[in-house]
Amino acid sequence: MEDLARRLCDQATRRGARFADVRILYRTADSILVQDTRADKLATASDRGIGVRVLVGRCWGFASADSLNPRRAEQCLDDALALAKASARFVSDPAMIAEVEPIQAEDRFEPEIPAAAIGLKEKIARLLEYERAGRGAGGSAVVNSIVRYSDGRREELLVNTAGACIRTDTGRAVCTCMIVASDGRILQRGVENRGIVGGAELLERTDPDEFSVRAANKALGLLKAKPAPAGRFTVIFHPSITGLLVHEALGHNAEADAVWASESILEGRLGDELAAPGVSIYDDSTLPGEFGSFAYDSEGTPGRRRPIIENGRLVGFLHSLETAAKFHTDPTGSARAESYDCRPIPRMTNTFMAPGDVPFGQMLRGVERGIYLEDGHWGYVFVQKGQFICHAGRAHMIEKGKIGEPLRDVSIASMTLDTLKNIDAVGADFEMKMPGMCGKDGQSAPTDCGGPHVRVRDVVVGGQAGLLPVGGDAE
Amino acid sequence: MSESETYLNRASRCVEKAVRLGAEWCDVAAGSSRDIAVTIEKSGIKAADAGQGESVAIRAYVRGGMGYAAVSGSEPRDVDEAVERAVALAKEATPDPDFRSLPSPQPAEEVEGLFDDTVAGMNVEDVVKIAAANIQAGLALESDVKLSGQVVLAVSEGALASSAGVALEKRGTMIEAAIEATLRRDDDTGYFYDFDFGCHLADCELDKVAEAAVAGARRFLGARRIGSARRTLVLGPLAAYSLIGALVAAADAESIQRGRSYLCDKLGESIASEHLTIVDDGLIRRGLRSGAHDGEGTRRRCLTVIERGTLASLLHNSYTAGKAGTESTGHGTHSGGISPTNLVPALGEKCAADILKEVTEGIYLEAGSIRADPASGDISASIDFGFYVKNGEIQSPVESAMLGASIFDLLKNLDAVSSDARVEPGLLMPTLRIHDVQIAGTE
Repeated sequence: MEDLARRLCDQATRRGARFADVRILYRTADSILVQDTRADKLATASDRGIGVRVLVGRCWGFASADSLNPRRAEQCLDDALALAKASARFVSDPAMIAEVEPIQAEDRFEPEIPAAAIGLKEKIARLLEYERAGRGAGGSAVVNSIVRYSDGRREELLVNTAGACIRTDTGRAVCTCMIVASDGRILQRGVENRGIVGGAELLERTDPDEFSVRAANKALGLLKAKPAPAGRFTVIFHPSITGLLVHEALGHNAEADAVWASESILEGRLGDELAAPGVSIYDDSTLPGEFGSFAYDSEGTPGRRRPIIENGRLVGFLHSLETAAKFHTDPTGSARAESYDCRPIPRMTNTFMAPGDVPFGQMLRGVERGIYLEDGHWGYVFVQKGQFICHAGRAHMIEKGKIGEPLRDVSIASMTLDTLKNIDAVGADFEMKMPGMCGKDGQSAPTDCGGPHVRVRDVVVGGQAGLLPVGGDAE
Repeated sequence: MSESETYLNRASRCVEKAVRLGAEWCDVAAGSSRDIAVTIEKSGIKAADAGQGESVAIRAYVRGGMGYAAVSGSEPRDVDEAVERAVALAKEATPDPDFRSLPSPQPAEEVEGLFDDTVAGMNVEDVVKIAAANIQAGLALESDVKLSGQVVLAVSEGALASSAGVALEKRGTMIEAAIEATLRRDDDTGYFYDFDFGCHLADCELDKVAEAAVAGARRFLGARRIGSARRTLVLGPLAAYSLIGALVAAADAESIQRGRSYLCDKLGESIASEHLTIVDDGLIRRGLRSGAHDGEGTRRRCLTVIERGTLASLLHNSYTAGKAGTESTGHGTHSGGISPTNLVPALGEKCAADILKEVTEGIYLEAGSIRADPASGDISASIDFGFYVKNGEIQSPVESAMLGASIFDLLKNLDAVSSDARVEPGLLMPTLRIHDVQIAGTE
């Protein structure tokens, strides 16, 4: 395969490409769905193929095929060259590529327990055990229980015209539990996710008490929770919500393609103080075992720790080879492609806020009336406006510095730059347990996010309960 | 695909092999797709991509337990291995007494207009031209607008064969332009997007998408914060369709049978005001989500899901229908899920403009997602593309506002559906008005 990739790169150069890379990828994934005490659906998927990317003149062309047949591969090169040439007339922003070292490397990740080392029956038995524990904790209130598990491998060969030749082999495993409970009036659900770069050791490490039992307890707790109020509050973010904040509100804005395209609110702000002092935010693909980690990105740049905000100041973006060239800086190893049929684009990996020094108790004491948001579920952002939303599975009122009654199903919406400035306390703790698939431009990438507890002033909460009078909310 | 083997042959061969290996029931989808995508960035063309691929997906059942294997490409060895894996997995799965059978053959007339030779014959230069026309049109309106997006063309063909005797072939085309426009004016940003799509080129106005996006971006300049209050909420066609789509998707019979949906025990009950009637029609000529059969080979039909506010039908696949002792409604996917098709709400009597004129104070939500928690039905959503409305007139866009409600409160307070609607192939998107909605702002 390496010979084929090198031959295509050589041909691309001879045929006028300023740069070309060839990615050959093979990936497999096996999954188990356990639901209502049965291993309902067992599945497997695999795909392999080749992606050829060329930079001709001022424009990129990219073509892919689901075959490693040399004739199909050469057709991909023909197509990619033709695609680039067909578009050249309408390019307003000429494509560029950073000069890079011709890295020759091989990175084979060896999981502690290879996925195949544990048989299917044993995996099913383990998942049924999780489910039993969750159903047991939820008792008669449980109406539906789901445990999903998946493990897979991704083998990738990258060769480019700059002389790089990199082989990587990575495994990932994920496990999710959802328990739905009813009190006869309403339904509520509790969800727990685990995900690692690794293999079946995820099953060894996952303790039912910390997983399915926790999911059941969340669902039971929510049955007793009240609808959240609506209005403007001082809010304390659990690390999972801090994770959503740094990923959605800031991280997508720091992807350098959005900045270069004038779509990010961070355009032209490098060096500016955008967050409160004490706020530092990083993206780091070198953290061992974390769901977003990798050794090399899809362009062959080594992964690294990437400072985005340090002590409140914007210090960097997430770069591909192209955006690094345009910004006259170094690539950061942030270019990721979901599969062989996708172009690499700047993405996050593991994104987090560094811990500060404020104990949680002290953070609470500063709030006369506010909301403690927990259990980050999902979020999204409009980078163009800097407007984001984060959804929490549960929350608690904070009354006179103490945790109060539980609240259910609450989202917050705010403007990124306002929120970063309105952080007035950064916790001394840290947690990153939000493995998930981040979507951008139709591609998914495994990521994680987290941070410490943080306290933020003036956050809009969208709840169902009575509205607070205007301006009569917090502190 | 080799010239001697059609996708139906390939799928049938896999079914036979699966049955030989011990599958009690089996169906196989085999097919291919080809696509071209031209990406716009910074008001110019950024890249052009092309891809083509084949795939085979095998679903096998043993005592009701399901094994599923999907593989890309067409290498016979890979496909054979996938069949073996699907059957082996089915044997390992827990038997499921609720599984009855896969659908029997159900002859049906093809839905017209799902394949357009014009689209199928387009090359990258044609797609580039559409992208370039949008760039030029957008820049003609605002010379400093930043446009991004994609023009995408896809051509697919495939077949479904099953051990119950289903043998179906289909093919389709789709073309779409989706453009985002960003305008910056000092510290102010106006941003909006629009799209157009269809199976047939003649059903689309692909060159006009950027103009609509730029016009939207202009409207969203000058956003202001609002105070918190209970207000009337008017959902424009895109926002309304988002709500309707999520509601019909929640009528998925599996979620209801499993007891995890806010629509549990609501069949035959009133869940919305009488203004709301929604038909799911997978048989609309040239409809984007149309087809004579669903992903399992069940004949599609026209199904009234909500009739004058009452949940009239659930969406079934063969599994949920068997479990409930009813007929599948033709909403099954091949992977075992359930999915709505084209949604057609019944229109009201007043046009959207008149509906808005009657609003004393409220929010007009032009686009955005209003999704309810699938279990509780609680909604806590951001007003992403909203305008403040006073005395029937749109005043200014709003910033940092949220709405909180129960899905049932929203549906019960729905007091008008417009008589006019945005029409996309197969989809009808009217304006909806909902009174007394809790809106939280920051002013």
